[in-house]
Order: sequence, then structure tokens, then C-alpha cells
Amino acid sequence: MNTYYAANLLIYAGIDIIACLALNLQFGVSGIVNFSFIVFQAVGAYAAAVLSLPPDTANGGFQHYVGGFQLPFPFPWIGGAIAGGLLAIPVGFVVLRKLRSDYQAIALLVLSVIANTVITNADKFLGGAAGLALVPPPFSDRIDPNTESYQYLYVGITIVAVVVAFAVVNRVVNSPYGRSLRAMREREIAAAAIGKNPVNLKMTIFIVGGVIAGLSGAILVGFIQLWAPSVWLYPETIILFAAIIVGGRGNNIGAILGALLVPVGFEEVTRLLNSNPNIANLGPPNFISALQWVLIGLLILGFLWFRPQGVRPEPRRVFEGGPE
Amino acid sequence: MNLFIAAFGFGLVSMSVIAIAAVGFTMQFGITNMINLAYGEVMISSAYLAYYLNKAGISIWIGMVAGALFGAVFSFLLNRVVYGPFMRKGTANLGMVIVSLAISLMISNLLLPIVGYYSVSYQENAGRLIRLGSIALTRDQIIVIAIAVVLMLGIHALLTYSRLGKAMRATAANPTLARNCGIPTQRVIDSVWLITGALCGLAGVVAALNDDSFAIANGSAFLITILAAAVLGGAGQPYGAMIGAVLIGLITELSAAAWSPEYKEVVAFGILVLVMVLRPQGLLAKRGALAAAG
Amino acid sequence: MSSHPTDAARPMLVATDIHRHFEGMRAVDGVSLEVAPGKITGLIGPNGAGKSTFMAVLAGTLPATSGTIVFEGEDITHFPAHQRARRRLVRTFQLPSEFAQLTVLENLLVAAPTNRGDSLFGALMGKGYWGADERRLIDEARGLLKRFGMSAKESDYAGTMSGGQKRLVEIMRALMLHPRLLLLDEPMSGVHPKIVEEIQYYLQDLRAEGLTILMVEHELHMVERLCDTVVVMAQGKVIGSGTMSSLRRQQEIVDAYLVG
Repeated sequence: MNTYYAANLLIYAGIDIIACLALNLQFGVSGIVNFSFIVFQAVGAYAAAVLSLPPDTANGGFQHYVGGFQLPFPFPWIGGAIAGGLLAIPVGFVVLRKLRSDYQAIALLVLSVIANTVITNADKFLGGAAGLALVPPPFSDRIDPNTESYQYLYVGITIVAVVVAFAVVNRVVNSPYGRSLRAMREREIAAAAIGKNPVNLKMTIFIVGGVIAGLSGAILVGFIQLWAPSVWLYPETIILFAAIIVGGRGNNIGAILGALLVPVGFEEVTRLLNSNPNIANLGPPNFISALQWVLIGLLILGFLWFRPQGVRPEPRRVFEGGPE
Repeated sequence: MNLFIAAFGFGLVSMSVIAIAAVGFTMQFGITNMINLAYGEVMISSAYLAYYLNKAGISIWIGMVAGALFGAVFSFLLNRVVYGPFMRKGTANLGMVIVSLAISLMISNLLLPIVGYYSVSYQENAGRLIRLGSIALTRDQIIVIAIAVVLMLGIHALLTYSRLGKAMRATAANPTLARNCGIPTQRVIDSVWLITGALCGLAGVVAALNDDSFAIANGSAFLITILAAAVLGGAGQPYGAMIGAVLIGLITELSAAAWSPEYKEVVAFGILVLVMVLRPQGLLAKRGALAAAG
Repeated sequence: MSSHPTDAARPMLVATDIHRHFEGMRAVDGVSLEVAPGKITGLIGPNGAGKSTFMAVLAGTLPATSGTIVFEGEDITHFPAHQRARRRLVRTFQLPSEFAQLTVLENLLVAAPTNRGDSLFGALMGKGYWGADERRLIDEARGLLKRFGMSAKESDYAGTMSGGQKRLVEIMRALMLHPRLLLLDEPMSGVHPKIVEEIQYYLQDLRAEGLTILMVEHELHMVERLCDTVVVMAQGKVIGSGTMSSLRRQQEIVDAYLVG
């Protein structure tokens, strides 16, 4: 198997896993329907990009953006993670306090659409519709990013990120704090009645999820070396929701499984189909990718109807020393 | 100054379009408790239907009727086949939002291979400009305003005087009680989806007519404006949606004149956020957006 | 919270002129009452009298439109529900409010306020940091389960419990907070008569241990057996208070409500 293909697959898998772990923490465990998730990944990517790019006068000055600090790894990744967390603060402050949960979901969805519109139209800020290109990948000043060994390197740092993200999410979910989150998800009013502050809990998880989502964006932009509004349209969040619903809500392993089945799985199948010219030319242009979305919708509906808990449901916690 | 008066005129048209759509949307929520995120896609679908009819030489006004019929049937089926069964299964509000979002994605992507990405427009001579001071509107725009006024009066009459309307209001206030009082809730709900679906389909054609051109991507833009109007007026309150439409229509057109037309949805979103922060229940609502208590 | 020597005399909770108006309805229309420490106070009245709404206002689930609530000398009128629970003013709910996808044991554990692992920092520090607290609380919770006869169900999902069992889980859950005042909203409602007996004994035991209880209840025999004082509400107002026998002698109250 081609190293580049394998690296591509592993890195995308890593990014999707990290994203799904974050969304699972927000949605699966804590019940926050964050329909604007992709914006947090995007802000992480943008932050990492402007931290690692040279000032916008470079490369002939064909793009316009803020920043351009040319920082070396790991600063762009750290910056991306922080950006994701920072964005969560005002968004969470507005949306997560007094609204009923389906309104929260709608507000976040609308935010996702609007953010994309604003960034597209604000030409000088983050490259506008064309976005940012020629983003220097990590260590590109020392290793040529086109070599095979670089692929191994990138896979390596991605895996490290996955391990860190998993460790964080795992500790949060399988702790008394995680139990409070689940209680809040189950019945928020009863959770308040036993002393949990739902607003605090939601804000905290929104921020933590934002940090992890931002990290996934930084990893992605470092790999593909460009970023534009067309990459983070609002339906991208839905793919991740489908992954969580399919894989198993509230289960970290389920989130990983969902990431492999849905975003990675669909992409691979699409790629395979498109590589066969007979199939690729079937029907109108973009037929395959449109079909992909229809299938995602059907997948969501199907699982919500037949198996809402997902392939790997949330585990039942049993404590040792119990009755027998 | 004249710019703003002209913008006021556009505002009249805008608010008419938004009103037709927002009233339908808010009634779906008020009576069946369903936030139908696929609403924008149904609008776009009927806009395209009217487009193909228009290309075949049929008048846009017939296209509007066709759009309304399509919207009615499609929305009715949507409820019967998808929303209703999921709700009866006990799916929570949040789950229903996900369901309607999935449907919305499916509709737009089923449409995409057929109609393509690029914008289209209706072949319609909008008629001569009619001036009133600095306000200049085409004949078609005035007809749109008239349609909106007629429909709003019709909805008012429906809700106030007709048996069905009263049954709708009862079901909205307390579905269990309504059923126990002998109101045939299934039939009421079917009628709601037919009527609001017709509004939705009609609004789609009207909105597309009002814009120079439209494409599939407009579906989500429509939805945001409608959401803003509905939430501003008070979720589930038809008269609230009318007021919300007036305000949103005016404010977005005035801001388009003051700054840039590309940001109309952004302004609508800004209003939505302000409402959610300052007065989540909207102008007219009783319950609305606030977290359920006790 | 205080350990004032004359605690026994001072009322634990003083609600003054509580109003709760909503959508034009005056669910609670000027209710004042005091809850004496170490006693079980009953709150009775016909349906729609506003009892549950009043309880919700006391607990902080609903805000009062006007009026004040002083708990153990502290004005908690504007405290949100979770802050009142932290002050050990704890409520249970009229409708089953268990955490369905948590096990019975987890329902109890989650209520404990003294777990170091119950914060983001604590969680990130890992099991080594909060393991001891958790073990201690598991023992405490298991003690409660044993006392209430539900040990066998510890690892079952709370959502699969019967109505009466859910009630018990909620009461035990509330007890994990070591409440000073327990607000029970129709604890016997929908519960099998056998379990009703058990709950009654538990409540009496708890009172003997010094727990103060304010209880909404419809079963008048239960009220008679359990409650030291009773407050009667109708149409959002208090129409009488005292012992059951003294209330029976007040004709308006008998007319309004008590039948046998």
C-alpha cells in the first residue's frame, strides 16, 4: 500500500476521531446539541494557519489575512486549541444559559451558517472566500513535507494528539464529574435539585469540547495546508453527529467507531467509487457526493429509529464489591 | 435619505415574503411542537418547480399555485411519513430537531443533481415601476404585497372564526385536553401541515421571485430569516410571526441600504441573538423559548 | 447553616408572603409559613391549591414573583435551585425524576456533594485523586441501599425501576446530600401500599434522627400518622394550620377539603 495513501487515511482518521471524541463529550455525554461544532474546528484551523503563515505580504501578497507570525510547531497547534476554547466562551454565554435545548440547537446551527457567510465576505480578515493557502506544515523548515518520512512524522504527531485527546475525554467521562454531566443530560432540573449547576457544567464542557475541536482543526490545516469557508459548511457538523449516533452516544469507543465508520468510511467509499470512471460519470456531476449526503441523512434516521443508542451504547457502570 | 425611503419600499416587499413563510413555520411549531428545519428546503423545492413550469412557458402566478399545492402535499407527507411516527415513538424535542435537519439535508441533496449548483431566475416581466414619492415598486412586487395581506387576513379569519381554526388553537394550547374534548387531533394536525405547507410552497416561489436569482443554497438563508421573524414575534404565535416579519423585513432592508446587501441574513441572525439574550420568549409569546420549568 | 444553641426554637424555614403568578394565573397567592426544625410538617389541600408550585418556589425550581424565603437565617429568595441544594435544602419531585440512564447506585453517588472528582480539575487529575472519596461514598450509598432494601438493584438502570422503587431512589438520593430540610412532593403518590408503609417508617426514623421534613401529601391517614403540624392550602392561599385534630374542628376547612 502506498505510504502517502496510508498516511492520508490515518491522519484523517485521527482528526475525525479527535473531533468525534469532542462532540461525544458535548452531545453524547452532556446532551449539548452543538450544531455549530464545525465552526470550532474551523477557528482552530484558522488560528493555526495565521500563526504558522508568514505575514500576508509574503508569496507575492496574493492573500490577505490577520496574523502571520510564522511560529514553529507546536505553537500553531496549541494556538488552534486555545482559539477553539476562546470562541466557546461568548457563544456559550449567549446560547447556553436560559434557552430550552432545542432553541439552543437552532441558535448554534444558525451561528454556523452565519459565521461561514461573514468569513466569506470579510475579504481581508481570513482570506475571504478563497481562504488561506500555502500554510506551512509543522517542521516544514527542517523536513520537506513531500517526502515519505514526513508522512510518518505527521502520522506520529497526529497519533500523539489522539492519545492526549482520548486521555482527557476518558478521564472526564469516567469520573464523578462525568457522572454529573450524564445526570444533567438525563434530567437537568433534577440535577439542579441535587446541587449541580447546569450552566456551569454546560459552559465548561462547551469550552473543553471547543479546545479539542480547535486542535483537530489545527491538525487538519497543517496537513492539507489550506483552509477555506467551503471546507467548513454547516452540514459538516451533521456528518459528525451521524458518526456519534451510529457509533454510540456517550461511549468514547463508540465515538471512535463512529468516526471510522462515517466520516472516514464514507470518504473512502466515495473515493473508491469516484476512482472508477464508469461509476464516477454515472448521472449528473457531483451525483456521488450528493448521494453521500442522502445516505448520511438516511443513516441518521435509521439509527434514531431502530437503534438510537448506537452500535456501542453507553456502558452501564458496575462497581466492584456489589451484591451477588 | 431617498435611499432609505426606497429601502422602506423594499422592506414592504421583504416583510410580505417573510410573513407568508414565517406564519406557516410558526404555526407548525405552535400546533405540532415541531421545529421544521426542512422548511427552507421545501420552499426552495417549490421555487424550482415553478421555475421549470415557467421555463415551459407557464405564467409565474400559476407556478405559485403549483408551488403552494406542492408544498402542501409534501409537508403533509413529511409529517405523516417521518415527523409523526418519530414523535409518536417518543422522540424528544432535540431528537426531532436532528430528524428535521437530516430531512433538510436529504431534500437539498436529492434536488442538487437535478437542478445543479448554479443560480437560476424566473422569466418574468416584473411590470412597470409604480412610484409613490421615493418608493418605487414594480407591479409584481405590489402584487406580492397584496397576496401577503390577503393571506394574513385569511389566516386571521381561519384562526378566529372557523371551527378548524379554533380546534388548531385548542390543540396548540393543550393537545391532550383538546383530544379529550373530542377534537380530532390527527385531522387537525393533517390540516395544519397542509395549510402551512401551502404557505411554505407559496412563500418559496414568492421569495424566489423577489430575489434576482436563486439556488439551492438559498434554502438555509431563507430559514434563518424565517427563524428570526418567528422567534422575535414569539415562537408559535402567528400574529407574532407577522409582527416579526414586519420588523425583520424592514430592518434587513434598511441595513442593506446602509451597509451591504450580502449581510442581510447576518443582520437577521444578529436580531435573533439579541432576542434570545434579552427576551427569549419573543414579543408576543407566553412560553416560547424559555427552558421548561418544573 | 449554624449551630446556634437555641436552634430548636428557631424555625428552620420562614416563607413570607410568597406569590407566584404566571400567565395571569395566581398559583400561589400570598403564602406565609414556618417550618419548625426536627418535625414533619404536612402541606395538604385540594387539587390545584398551589401546593406543588409552592414547593417548587421553596426549592428554587421556580422563581417567586414576590415574597421572601429565609432558610436557617439566610435569605435564599434569589438563590437558584442548585445553590439551595448545596445549602442542604433538598427537594424530591411529584413526577418520577430519577436519572434513568444511570444505575441506582450512580443516582445516589451523583448526589454526594463532597467528591473531589466532581470538578473538571478533579476529573483530569485521574482516579488516584478522587478514588478515596469515591470509595467512601460508595460505602455510604450502599449503606442507604441496604437500609431501604434496594441493595440487589444497585447496578440496575434507575429507569427500569418500578414507581415505588423510583420514589425510594429519589429519597435516598436526597439523603446523600445530608439535608437539613427535605421537601417531599407527594412521596407516596403512585406507590404500592406495601412500600408506602415502608416509606412511612423511614420518614419516622429520619425524623427521630433530627431531619426536618415538609411534605405535600394527599393521603390524609398518612398525614395524620406522620405529620406533627399540617398547613392547609386552597386556591393559592393558606386557609389554616395546626394539628390534624384542631383542623378538623374548623368548619371552613372541613367544608373546603377534608372529607372523613
